[in-house]
This record gives sequence, structure tokens and C-alpha cells, in this order.
Amino acid sequence: MGPVLLAATSNVAVPTTFDGVAEGLTVVILLSEFAMLRAPLSRSQIRLYSFQSLMVSVLAAYIAAAKGLPDLYAIAALSLSLKVVVVPAVVLRLLRDAKVELVASNRASVTSMTLLAIAVAVFAIFVIGGLPVHSTSLPTAAFGLSAAVVLVSFVLVALRSDVVSQAVGFFSLENGVSVASLVVASGLPLIVEVAFFFDLLVAVVVFGVLMRVHHNRTDTLSTETLDQLKG
Amino acid sequence: MAVGPVLSEPVIQVFQDLTIVVFAPGVSGAIAKIEARFQGRRGPRVAQPYYDLAKLFRKETLVPEDASWVFLAAPVAAFACYLTVPLLIPVLTNFGLPLGYMGDILGGGFILALAGFSIAVAAAETNAPYAQLGSSRAMTFSALIEPTILFVTFVVALITATDLPYAEAAANRTSLAAVLRPAHLLAAVAFFLVVLNDTGRIPVETHSGTLEFGMIDEARTLEHSGPALALLQWGSNMKQLILYVILINVFVAPWGLSGSRALGSVALAIVVFLGKALAVGFVFTLIDNSFSKLRLFKITEFMAAAFLLAVLAVLVLFVGG
Repeated sequence: MGPVLLAATSNVAVPTTFDGVAEGLTVVILLSEFAMLRAPLSRSQIRLYSFQSLMVSVLAAYIAAAKGLPDLYAIAALSLSLKVVVVPAVVLRLLRDAKVELVASNRASVTSMTLLAIAVAVFAIFVIGGLPVHSTSLPTAAFGLSAAVVLVSFVLVALRSDVVSQAVGFFSLENGVSVASLVVASGLPLIVEVAFFFDLLVAVVVFGVLMRVHHNRTDTLSTETLDQLKG
Repeated sequence: MAVGPVLSEPVIQVFQDLTIVVFAPGVSGAIAKIEARFQGRRGPRVAQPYYDLAKLFRKETLVPEDASWVFLAAPVAAFACYLTVPLLIPVLTNFGLPLGYMGDILGGGFILALAGFSIAVAAAETNAPYAQLGSSRAMTFSALIEPTILFVTFVVALITATDLPYAEAAANRTSLAAVLRPAHLLAAVAFFLVVLNDTGRIPVETHSGTLEFGMIDEARTLEHSGPALALLQWGSNMKQLILYVILINVFVAPWGLSGSRALGSVALAIVVFLGKALAVGFVFTLIDNSFSKLRLFKITEFMAAAFLLAVLAVLVLFVGG
């Protein structure tokens, strides 16, 4: 009686190493979105956004290197300089002027928000991931995951009632769209992405003005008071 | 590595059990030493748990007035459970041993839960507030972590078409891509968090000490004494090492296991396993000592994070990751 060796009988095909790493990076991007739900400090939220953007740049550079798409290096560089450095620096600067450290703004407990966000992510992954989109650059799973990033950032924006969370939620929504564009339109990404970057810059300016004005009027970054009539 | 005489499979199975029984207190002692170093103390010697056990076995057993026979039977039952689980998991070999397939990961989980249940029943027998507080907390938290364990099991089942730990380990050894696939990484991290919870290092618990805010596992056994307490402590050490085995030899690093029945190869597997267990213990101690403890009711956030990782692992598998 010799040793009984078990053959690995997988009923889900093992993805290639490239697909595995690319999907892993996308999952990290989604997880950092979830981490923003938990982050209590505005500052830590912005750092998480910076980290998430860094992962988007790494993903773009990885695809560029593995698939020989030099355009994507430009995307990675743009994303690195704007989303990892400039945008967080601008928002942090605004926060320093506002001198508000902690905004208690959860409309639900962290656990309920996480569970709700899980449900939303399940929806996104199954519905969007089920679309017959076949990409040459990224595994299709990344498409569902990027949709999950978008929907979870909606949860963040809806369940947090402070201006910084809502701004960061909006910016990170753009990160989800960037990943989706890497899946869908890797053929013409430069034009698409530059348009997104322009949108993002406009959004930063708008949110910056909004934060300033809101803080000047109400002395807080919370949006709870906005639905009250002013005499 | 076919050095030395060839052992029969039942003998290797006995070796698996003995590895856990003999080295569990030593690994705990080594981890306690590492932890003391982190905290700038000299710490107890590595063999201290063995001396403690020897001392406790010589002491008399005291039983609280209201307790029945269950109180004395529970430590033995728990110890028997911890002796059974190593038969089901790849401690030393990468091939299944006799009785090795009689239970899958869920089966092993049930047996571990039975051990926890008998300790909780014994604590309920005592009428002592601290023991009951500890056991009720431990039961609550193990119920909260249960969904995570289930989803990790689903991942294993989807990847290997069985629930056998040997099969999952074999699947991870096939290629680098099998290790790098996101579903496996997520499940491994989720299981890491489960082990963090089950070895008393969750972010709310002080696993050594008698501070009531952070006392969970330690409190359960407060009323026990003598050989019964020795069995409980030994069992708790064994449980820790068993969970390390599942984490290391099934999920994280299923390499270095013996592929043959030769004595030299099995002996080498024991040494390699102890090295890996100490490395994992080092990581756990590092984590335990670099984060401040949270309020007890923040535990749900930790559980939600573990659950999130496990659910994502299943989701990613369904879309082809």
C-alpha cells in the first residue's frame, strides 16, 4: 500500500499569473475603498485615497509592462503625479486650514456599513461581471470589481455626512472608473483617461470651494446642518 | 530524502499526533519568550510551560460546591478533541494517512467547537462570574467568526472540489499561479484573522493576564485546578498549534512536508514544521504587540473585516479568479 496522493481536481480553472496579479491589484483597490468606510479621521481617509490611486498606477504600469502598451505608462505617470501627490496634498492643505480633525459622521455603525457595502459589491460583481465584455488587457473579473469600487464609494458618499468623506468618495469613484476604462478601452485609453483626469481636476476645485464656503458658514465640515432652514 | 527505515502509515499518523502533543507547550513557551523580548522583558524560559504542566499534574483537584461530574469530565473531553484533530490535517505528510479522510475541514472545525463547548459547559457549572463571563464571551465571538470560517471552507471546496485539507494543500503546491490567485490569497488572509481570533490575540483580548476587560479564554478556566487545569492549558497550547498547522500546511506554506514514508524524511518534516510554526508565532506576536487594544464592542469591526475578505474570495472565484 503506497502513499495515496491526491490530485488537485480544481473545478475553477487557475488563472494565469498575469491574471492573478492583475485581479489581486484590483481586489486591493476594492479593499482600500472598504477601508475608507472604517477610517475615522479625514486625514486617514485621504491617505487611503492616495494609496488606492497608487495601486491604480501600479496596475496600469503592470499592464503596460506585461502587454506592451506604452500608452498606459503615460496613464500611470499622470495618475501617480496627480492622484497620488497633487490631489491629496491640496485636500490636506484645505483640511489644515479648516482645523477640524475628527468629524463624527457615520450614519450607521461601521459593521452595518461594511455589510451593506458587501451586499452592494456582490450585486456589482455578479451583474456587471456577468456582462459579455472581453478585454484583451485585463481579466474580465476586474470589470465587476471596478463596478464594485464605484458602488461602494456610493455607499461611502451616502452614509458619511462630512464634506471630506463625500469628496474622497467622489474621487475614489473616479479610481473605479479608471480601472473599468483599463478593462474596456485599453485600445484608446489615453484620450479617455485624460478626459477623466480633467473631470477629476474640476471636481477637486469644486469640492475645494465647497469645503471652504461650507466651513466658513457653519464652522464645521459636517453636512448635517445643511437641511435646516436659516433665518 | 528516503533516509532510514520505512515507517508504516499508522505509525506516521501517531507521529503527527505526538508532534502536536509534545511540541505544543514548547511552541507556546517560545512565543511567550519572543513576546517578552518585544516588551523589553527577559521573559520566562522556553521550557516553562512544561514545568507548569508538571507542577499542576502533581497538585490536588478542587471542585466548586455546585459542580457535577461534567466539571471534571470537560477537560478530558476537550483534550480528546484536540488529540483527534491532528489526524485529519497534514501535520507532517503531503499524502493522506489512515483515518485522515474521515473528516474534512468542517469536521475538524466541529471537533474544535466541541472542545470549546465542553469547556463552556464546565464554566457554566461553576456558578463563578468570571468563568461564565469568559465562556459567554468566547462563545459569542466564536459564533461571530463562524461565517468567515464557512466562507473560507467554501473557497477550499470551490478550488479543490473537496473539503479535505490535504487536497487544498496539494492544489497550492501545483504552481505559483495557484498561490497567487486572488481567491486563495484572500481566503488565506481571512483564515489568518480567524486564527488571530481563536488563539486569543484578537484586538480586544489580552491573552495572558487577569484584566477583566480583556479576559476571554483565560477566564474560562479560572475555577479549574490541578491535573484538570493542566489538561486545559495543554489543550489550549495544542489548539494553537493545530490552528497554526492548518494555516501553514494548508494555506500559506504547504511545502517541506514529507512525501515519503522514510523515517529521515518524516523527522525532517517535524523540524521544518516547528521552524514554520515559530515563524508564524513571531508574526502573530508582532501583530499583537504593535496594535493597541480596542474596546470590546469594536470586535464586530474586526469580524466584519474578516468576513469581507472571505466573501470577496468566494465572489472572485465565481468571476474566474
